Amino acid sequence: MFTKELMNKYANDLLFDLSEEEVNLLLEEFDVIRENMEIISNIEGISEVEPLSFPYDITVSSLRDDEDLQNISTEDALKNCHDKIEDVAIVPKVVG
Amino acid sequence: MTYLDKDLTTIHEALVNKEVNPKELADEARSKIAKTNGKLNAFNLVIDNEEYKESDSILCGIPYALKDNLSTKGIKTTACSDTLKDYVPVFNATAYEKLCDSGALLIGKTNLDELAMGGTGTTGNTGIVHNPWNISHMAGGSSAGSASSVAAGIVPYAIGSDTGDSIRKPAAFCGVVGFKPSYGLISRYGLFAFASSLDHVGVFTRNVKDAAIIVDHIKGYDKKDMTSIRDMDDVSLVNGLDGNIKGKKLFYIDEICNKDNYDNPKTKEMLDNFDSLLEKAKDLGFEVYKESVDIKLLNAIKPIYDCISCAEATSNNSNLTGIPFGPRGNGENVMDMMKDARTKGFSPLIKRRFVIGSFILQKENQEKYFLNAKRVRRLLVEIFNKLFEKYDGLILPCSSAGAPSLEQASDKITRNDIILENHLAIGNFGGYPSITIPCGFIDKMPIGVNITGKFKGDANVLNMAYALENTLEFKNQTAKGEF
Repeated sequence: MFTKELMNKYANDLLFDLSEEEVNLLLEEFDVIRENMEIISNIEGISEVEPLSFPYDITVSSLRDDEDLQNISTEDALKNCHDKIEDVAIVPKVVG
Repeated sequence: MTYLDKDLTTIHEALVNKEVNPKELADEARSKIAKTNGKLNAFNLVIDNEEYKESDSILCGIPYALKDNLSTKGIKTTACSDTLKDYVPVFNATAYEKLCDSGALLIGKTNLDELAMGGTGTTGNTGIVHNPWNISHMAGGSSAGSASSVAAGIVPYAIGSDTGDSIRKPAAFCGVVGFKPSYGLISRYGLFAFASSLDHVGVFTRNVKDAAIIVDHIKGYDKKDMTSIRDMDDVSLVNGLDGNIKGKKLFYIDEICNKDNYDNPKTKEMLDNFDSLLEKAKDLGFEVYKESVDIKLLNAIKPIYDCISCAEATSNNSNLTGIPFGPRGNGENVMDMMKDARTKGFSPLIKRRFVIGSFILQKENQEKYFLNAKRVRRLLVEIFNKLFEKYDGLILPCSSAGAPSLEQASDKITRNDIILENHLAIGNFGGYPSITIPCGFIDKMPIGVNITGKFKGDANVLNMAYALENTLEFKNQTAKGEF
């Protein structure tokens, strides 16, 4: 089920490469992960249970007012950008 | 005469009485960091000025340390990851902002496991953090530098974050107090997100009262955090510390504490210590009960944690591309640049965690893995919510032994995980207030006991820990190792 090709595909989807050593370690870990996931899947009656996404059920009963809560200036937004000109970040040309 | 190894009230009184001034306190902290950092590696950045706001707060002019995954405007914050090398935030985390408003004096940023995704304090790009009780042992993680710096008496308190046990386990390993309050009591705004549904901001101190003082200063509703608690602004945690616990009901879980389940002599020693602690608790006026929880659900704690945390982390860290911030990658197009930046920037551990998260989040796996993990999370939370209706708190050892030696440090996912090492994540699943206090030693390394209570029951949890702490001899201790 878990192959080197699959590990590399997942890594590629996440925009990074894995070394051969990393792939092998992952395959070892995935054996354990699969067993651990079975522990979860084998708990009786879970198909009837609603997933809990936060420590408690969060219900939003109203929309916030449409107010401007914060603003980061263009100058601030570009402070950590390593390649910029005037008020934009420079990247290679995307459209031909 | 040193001050920063004392409690907050003592330091504050010394300032009020003009025995010492904030500059001298800052100098003391910097001098201790200079002397110890070669061996402990608790800090990656030391602030070389004494800027603080004048205020009438007890925290005014007193140095503290901040885990390096909380945004500090104009001060480098890297989460010990190459992907954030030289990153300087342009806004403040709410917890930090509140400390600034109280006049607290930030003295340095502390090392952590990369992006807070680890439990050893050995995986950050700034190197291994050492335990001040014995530098050949780990401090624990991920808030390793915060725990180490408080234990070493460098600062009276440090801020940390806790997604699975990242405050409470290193606190136990370093012999200090570690408190993670209810989910949302302290705003997560400006905390670099690891797993948003589990992340908490909390504190390390050397006594329970100081933990209450700090959380009183940094808690409060924050509209910048959608999960921020709205109805606890008026609660004073420090005023709730009266030590009156007569008739309070504690429970422990038989499946976790039964010595017959363990072969390791150190774990048996840990559980002997726990037994004698329970006797002391009873003598103090606590009622102590044994409860049973389905072992299948307890065995699921670590798998649930791995599943939810890896999945959420994969998504949360997708913004680390090297384009808007962080070191740029090389490439002829944007995708190649991002791929190069992420390949070079993330450590092997982080990449493995993200691949696991990606697997769990694949369309064909979400139902079976991600949603099932969240379903079992609900089952566990419902069980503990019911137990907290019956009892005031859950009491358990924090781990199966003291801090492992650095040779044993591993963040690899293995089959050897035991519940005694993983149960603290229950506090994150249900957002429960949860505190570790030191309770003894095994082989000269400190161990801790944890008390967890119902959601929003922070005052009760702190008061129970406060009472128990006063019967033990470890309050305000600093590490006795050579560092």
